[in-house]
Amino acid sequence: MLELFEQLSAPWALRAIITSSMVGITCGVLGSFIVLRNMSLIGDALAHAILPGIFVAFLIVGYNVVGFFVGSVLAGLMTAFGITWIQQYAQTKNDAAIGIVFTCMFAIGVMGISKISQRGVHLDLTDFLFGEALGISDVDICMTAGVMIFVLLSVFIFYRYLFITTFQQTIAKTMGINVKTVHYFLMFLLSFAVVSALSSVGVILVVAMLITPSSTALLLANRLKNVIIISAILGLLSANIGMLISIIFDTNPGPAMAVTATAIYLLVVFLSPSKGLIFRYFRKLASRRTIEQEDILRQAIKQGAAVPLATEKIGLKLGMSSTKLETHLSKMLKSDILRQENNKIYLSQAGAHKANQLMRAHRLWESYLVSSMGMNDNEIHDEADRLEHHLSKEILDEVDASLGYPEIDPHGSPIPKKQTIMLHEAALNRNYIIIKDQISDEIDSALWELGILPHTNFKVQRKTSGSIDLLYLNKRIRLKRDLAEKIKIQ
Amino acid sequence: MTPYHSIMPISVKGLSVSYDRKRVLTNIFLEIPKSTVCGVVGPNGAGKSTLFKAILGLITTNSGTVKIHGQEIDDVRNRIAYVPQKDDVDWTFPATVEDVVLMGRYPHKKILQRLDKTDHALANKAMEDLSIHDLKNRQIGELSGGQQQRVFIARALAQQADIFLLDEPFVGVDMMTEEKIIDILTRLREEEKTVLVVHHDLSTVESYFDHVVLLNQRLIAFGETESTYTRENISIAFGAQLDILHKSGIEKS
Repeated sequence: MLELFEQLSAPWALRAIITSSMVGITCGVLGSFIVLRNMSLIGDALAHAILPGIFVAFLIVGYNVVGFFVGSVLAGLMTAFGITWIQQYAQTKNDAAIGIVFTCMFAIGVMGISKISQRGVHLDLTDFLFGEALGISDVDICMTAGVMIFVLLSVFIFYRYLFITTFQQTIAKTMGINVKTVHYFLMFLLSFAVVSALSSVGVILVVAMLITPSSTALLLANRLKNVIIISAILGLLSANIGMLISIIFDTNPGPAMAVTATAIYLLVVFLSPSKGLIFRYFRKLASRRTIEQEDILRQAIKQGAAVPLATEKIGLKLGMSSTKLETHLSKMLKSDILRQENNKIYLSQAGAHKANQLMRAHRLWESYLVSSMGMNDNEIHDEADRLEHHLSKEILDEVDASLGYPEIDPHGSPIPKKQTIMLHEAALNRNYIIIKDQISDEIDSALWELGILPHTNFKVQRKTSGSIDLLYLNKRIRLKRDLAEKIKIQ
Repeated sequence: MTPYHSIMPISVKGLSVSYDRKRVLTNIFLEIPKSTVCGVVGPNGAGKSTLFKAILGLITTNSGTVKIHGQEIDDVRNRIAYVPQKDDVDWTFPATVEDVVLMGRYPHKKILQRLDKTDHALANKAMEDLSIHDLKNRQIGELSGGQQQRVFIARALAQQADIFLLDEPFVGVDMMTEEKIIDILTRLREEEKTVLVVHHDLSTVESYFDHVVLLNQRLIAFGETESTYTRENISIAFGAQLDILHKSGIEKS
């Protein structure tokens, strides 16, 4: 442990860590724009294409870090222009054009640099390709710092231009913004960033530092400013952890950083609260639970709302184990869909309402399949069974209207009419919508003031004797009970 | 020699546009006055969106000139606001409602100027006008079709332009939004603005617009709706596609 600490506090290690941190931030910030503009491949191309710049600079001024810098930036810009030119005039596909230009530039660079190093000059191709923690000089640090400050300032000052040209090119043009200039300015910044990453990450994997942290950030934030900040932090993190790994295990830093960035990306892909796969899995489970409970409800309403439920019968009919049925029933009791009286279970008012709606969905959809799609009576039941859980209230209304408000379904059973209930009668944690025609204008304006729009889903979270708490668009809204008693919902 | 242009808000003289040698617009002359909500109507491929792009100076024209208030478009860009079709927008983009509405203020800013209190106040006002203020921190992809359309109209309002070009603003929106947009357009007319709307629902043309441009690559007719939107002109504009007229129930003698 002590040994490791000593190793890390050695001047060369500190230099490596400082440089890679700055590279991480620079690439994270620029990468957000690169990814959003679908230019990931161009970023990769620019990185590969700077090698011949180094080679030519060496031929002209010899081994000189500043010379390498200037040569690389020029090579990067030449590549950007070259790609655009081919795309416009040679009528070659975009990605092919990028491939043609950068592989050629890269090949020239590799040939040139290998030739030089054969002459006994200390220019190691692998260092350029994958980075080299040991080889970072003070001049490198200053250049990287200069690039970082320049990039951050540019993004700060020209944020509006970058934002709008990335989001909507056409609108940017109508506002008189020169979209091409912004594009080339970004290419210019990108060349800078790639060159500054040369010593720590190397040209092959710098694209990972550009696109991976920002792709991760895009999963986590929903406004550009936050995406940029998170991406910079993730870039910093990946660069540092990567550099540590490379020092400890004595390997090239570039690959270590790329692997770290990807590891963070995967972690977020699985764990992100809104877009993560694991949470999506749980949501799927939850929706399956809802479907099963809705099936129970439909069986219950068939037995009748006034009589106690024959639960074994429902279990048998749905092929559901008794433990599973018990769990569902107790949950439905808790959310006011069922009620218990003298040890017997009944449908509550809210439950009967829900069940009627399901019945309506099922039978309307059956009618629709027969009359509009021409399916025959035997085929439709299963189809309607599946879809009744997913049809939104608006679609149902539309189906109802287009069929001319039918009274009976193709099997001759009555179709329940559309029903509304009052808000205080709603079951807990179920989706409802406020309907458009309320009983008076005062109710309309009261809802308006609360910021509640009609036809938008909400759930009732809690009911007390004085108030009712709604969850509406991720916001909690508390309503007085006497108001809730006057609000029609569906 | 440049033809004489009036100082009308939009003045188009002899405009012709083609894409890959295919003529889209031929010899269009138009003088759109102020205090108007003017519909642009014609069949698919009539060049409605192209006309907008030409007015906005986004495409190269074969011949003809467009003047805005008698000036070149590049000199008056902040006075003209454009609401593109909804499907031209990347709805997954990390931008909130407020971010988008604030963009309306960009054309009024010099390169180093930051957005200030006035800009935020104007954006807030525009969001309130369209009843989307409560949604200001939501990502645009989380909104319904109607709410999304309101966002872009709010951006145009925040721009405080005096010419508004809206491309199919009523497509895929709910009734409430449609009414809201009509309210806003009526208000703009009262404020002496010029509003041009590409529209395809033939049955609402008469109630929504006081002027109408009937277009089918050539200019078929332009003028006040009552005298211009006649069965005869409509059938010239739509030609073979006339059966849509019957479907949409237009009966005019």
